[in-house]
Amino acid sequence: MKIAVQLFGPLAEQAGVSRLEVSMSGSTLQDVLAALAVASPTLKIDRSVRFAVNTDYAAPSAPVKEGDVVSLIPPVGGG
Amino acid sequence: MFKVTTEPLSIDEAYAAVRRDDCGAVALFIGTVRDHHDGKKVTKISYSAFKEMAVKEFAAIAAEAQSRWKVGAVYIAHRTGALRIGDASVVIAVSAAHRAEAFDACRHAIEALKKMAPIWKEEFYETGKAWISG
Repeated sequence: MKIAVQLFGPLAEQAGVSRLEVSMSGSTLQDVLAALAVASPTLKIDRSVRFAVNTDYAAPSAPVKEGDVVSLIPPVGGG
Repeated sequence: MFKVTTEPLSIDEAYAAVRRDDCGAVALFIGTVRDHHDGKKVTKISYSAFKEMAVKEFAAIAAEAQSRWKVGAVYIAHRTGALRIGDASVVIAVSAAHRAEAFDACRHAIEALKKMAPIWKEEFYETGKAWISG
C-alpha cells in the first residue's frame, strides 16, 4: 500500500520536501520507516525523532492502513 | 479556545475566552521573541507547525490541566510564520476560582506545550540560523 509521509522543521529542510509517498508491504509504522529509509536514504531519523499516525503520537509498533498519514516529528520548539 | 495562527495574538481575546463569574483568578502567560540566544543577537524567528495535531495537543493539555486542578477555562494560542523581536509567539490563559490553581495549571500548560506540541522554531542571527528545540 501507499502511505503519505509528512516531514517538518529540520527534517523537511534536510529532505528538501515536506511531503512524500512511500510504497510498502507491511502494516506497522516500523514498516513505513523501513520503506522511507529506502526511498529517502539521506534522511537522518535518529532517536530524537517522534512519530505520529494522522494527528496522534504513535509508537513504531502502531498499525497503519491505506489512507493514513504518517508524520515525522523532530524535536519540537514551540513556546 | 485553541488555535495556531499566522495572525498576531490577542491578549484581550485570551482574557475574554477564560474570564468567568465563578472564577476569581486569571493567569496569563505570554511567550515573546527574545533578541538573544547563547550570546548571539537574534534578528527574527520563524515558527512552523503541524497545525491540526498542535491544536489537538492544546486540547489534550487543557483537558489534563482540568483533570489535575480545579480550573474554569483554558485558552492556548500559538503563532506561526516570521515573527519579529518582541512579538508574542504563545498566549495561554487559565481561569480558576483561586489563584493557586490558575498559576499551577498555566505553568503546567506552557511546560507541556513545549514538550508535546508539534511546533518548530528557527532562529535567525546576524550570520546564520539554527533550529531550536526544548
